[in-house]
Amino acid sequence: MKRRAFLGAITAAAALVATTATGYAADWPKRPINLVVPYKAGGGTDAYARAISAAAEGVLDVPVVVVNKPGSGGLNGANAVVGARPDGYTMMMTSGGSFLLSTMTRDTKIDALDSFDFVAQVGQLRTSLMVPVNSPYQSVQDVIDAAKADPGSLRWAHSGRGGFHHVGGLGFLANNGIEAQDVPFKGGGPTRAALIGEQADFGFLGVQQLRGFEEQLRALAVNSADRDTIMSDVPSFGELGVPFAAVSSPVIVFAPKGTPAEVISAMETALAEIAAKPEFAELLAERGTGPIFANGADARAALNAMQADAAPLVQNLNN
Amino acid sequence: MEIFPALLSVITDPTLLFAIVLAAAVGMIVGATPGLTASAAIAMLLPITFYMPPLFALAFLYVIGKSGRYGGSVAAILFNTPGTAASAATQIDGYPLARAGKAGKAMKVATISSVIGDFMGDIMLVVGVGFIASIALKLGPPETFAIYFAAFVVIGSVIGKSITKGLISALLGILVAMVGLDPISSEERYTFGSFELSNGIGLVPLMIGVFVLGEVFAQLEERKKAKGEVRENESDPSGHTLTYEEYKPCIPHAIRGGFIGAGIGVLPGLGSAIAAFISYGEGKRRAKNPEQWGKGALEGVAAPEAANNAVSGPSMAPLLTLGIPGSTIGAILLGVFLIHGIQVGPTLFLTDKELVYQLFACGMLGIFAYGIIGYFGATQVARLILKVPVNVLYPLIFLTAFVAAYSARGSMFDVTVMTVAGFVGWLMRKFDFNVAAFVISFVLAKGAEETFRQSLLMSDGGALIFVERPIAAGFLLLGLAAMGFRIRSIMKERRIAEGGLGDA
Repeated sequence: MKRRAFLGAITAAAALVATTATGYAADWPKRPINLVVPYKAGGGTDAYARAISAAAEGVLDVPVVVVNKPGSGGLNGANAVVGARPDGYTMMMTSGGSFLLSTMTRDTKIDALDSFDFVAQVGQLRTSLMVPVNSPYQSVQDVIDAAKADPGSLRWAHSGRGGFHHVGGLGFLANNGIEAQDVPFKGGGPTRAALIGEQADFGFLGVQQLRGFEEQLRALAVNSADRDTIMSDVPSFGELGVPFAAVSSPVIVFAPKGTPAEVISAMETALAEIAAKPEFAELLAERGTGPIFANGADARAALNAMQADAAPLVQNLNN
Repeated sequence: MEIFPALLSVITDPTLLFAIVLAAAVGMIVGATPGLTASAAIAMLLPITFYMPPLFALAFLYVIGKSGRYGGSVAAILFNTPGTAASAATQIDGYPLARAGKAGKAMKVATISSVIGDFMGDIMLVVGVGFIASIALKLGPPETFAIYFAAFVVIGSVIGKSITKGLISALLGILVAMVGLDPISSEERYTFGSFELSNGIGLVPLMIGVFVLGEVFAQLEERKKAKGEVRENESDPSGHTLTYEEYKPCIPHAIRGGFIGAGIGVLPGLGSAIAAFISYGEGKRRAKNPEQWGKGALEGVAAPEAANNAVSGPSMAPLLTLGIPGSTIGAILLGVFLIHGIQVGPTLFLTDKELVYQLFACGMLGIFAYGIIGYFGATQVARLILKVPVNVLYPLIFLTAFVAAYSARGSMFDVTVMTVAGFVGWLMRKFDFNVAAFVISFVLAKGAEETFRQSLLMSDGGALIFVERPIAAGFLLLGLAAMGFRIRSIMKERRIAEGGLGDA
């Protein structure tokens, strides 16, 4: 038994040497690709990864395996991938906005813009202003008026300080000159339940969270200039003329720095093909989200722009 | 009554029936293996279910969860090493029974009680799932905190011989739970600049370390001290049979445990460990023979086992109606729903009602399956495992402990946590601290702190919010009343001990 294990180790080591030799990028992928999701199974980002994995069949010759490495606001998984072998078999899919914000607010060596190579963006998560269905607030203006009438009296729920929902909410409050007390919950599910149970006056949560809960919640506005492509019944802050901070979360696939350029461009092409498949859109539509593809360079530019928008808001969170 | 057509459609599907029986057997073996938990097994089996149809996948994992909860009692009774925190309560009386040569009897009591509790839970789930959903929604942070408070107090009743050491153990658990990110401000606490610690201490490695490694260390030490002594585990034939007369006094405890478990199961995040301990504490308080409890009372096995399994069904209610998993197994099942494109939440009962009731039907058949396998098979498994010499068994337990700690999250840091927790658990046992109080407080502290601080944010720092809301006030009163009873019984014991009014 011992000897067999030893022989196995030798063979494995030999195989590793062989694969690290030059020229292997040409026949990538040969092994299953591990797609690390730094959140728990069942979240919005995870849904994208599962859909990619399901729709990859026929585009990539190898399976895409979703690996959940939750913890530390998404930094746990990022930390695992940043040090992974840059061979194209370990990549990360994360909520770009939350990832960027956590690298800005937390003490970490990881830089969202520089520590990884951008492969592509496959989707977009947007935060939105929601109230319980029995709430007296029928419009965004009602919320603003109520907050101005009695500053600091309103309570608002979000899924955790430092996340893009929280920062999006802060941006809404700051840009409209109103004050309200935040009550953080752990993740989107509990936040939604708290809002349904009228534990807070309003909340900032993913607009896709409305899907299936239309009778319990009312979405007043989505935190962007234009309407969400899937949840298109919800008006946007932009069209209502309400000032807001452009914080959203592109769902981005990252590769460890140093991954061969051929591998990254092959994966980028594969992701573009997967994102265009109707099955991918169908899988996501059930969760209230949809495919939004952008290549690696565009994804990087979008995140760069968001960093500038979010910097003044997160300054107060830094300590 | 949508359950009857669902039952019919499940019974007439032989492949599905086979999957249920297989799942019952797998769950029991996994649960009975010390250090391997049902949730770890489900996590490992999850990828296989991607290729199954949704009902198949859900039923398979759901039944493994049920059967695994029950199987934990086998390990607790036989090896004094519970696979789950919940079976730590079963162990209090189960292990003394095994030492007295009544392992088979204890396991039969555990089987029957698990089946009773599980059935009660499932029936309540089927009948009340809609009603439960509407109540669960009304529970905000103040109510949840009050429930945590009540749970903390009731757990005090199982704190053990020394109140001071019990309290220190509980405080230690709370302190360890503080490591990681602050639940409100997301700042780091007690992390000493370590990235891994910023993620907090994981429950699974902590539990495996304290309960499995710690126990093995403690037993190794005992064996070294007592050289040449053989463990008296040979059972006389009557130790394996169970008569109705013997089980009769257990019935009220099993039914009470069923209600306690079902009640706690509905509340997300409390879980079967708390249910088992509360049921044990309540059972002991109401028992005719409390002095027997802890020394090998069959009732002391029945009460926690029924509660432990009664959690299984009702814990599906918040998961299905709100999408909030109440347990690790629930969280994994949530993933299965999502993978198969089924949206859990209030609308689930509109879109996939048939599937949900078929899943419930599979659960009920699963209870039958593990009940029969357990009743007739647990003794054989027990005999087999008892024949394995300890110098094979302990390394095996060691190995599974390391594998389970690693595989839960694929993290080497968790293995370190488990090893450290193992030494801590051993030292705590050595110096008579209460490891159960330590782990339960660890579990409760996080939720209690989070909900307490959320409540204060909601009320601008005013504590009145806990009294103004009726459900919250009710649970707080319950906790205070339990505390009062406890103090009174301690005073009484003292007086008796002092010989004052003892005879009056």
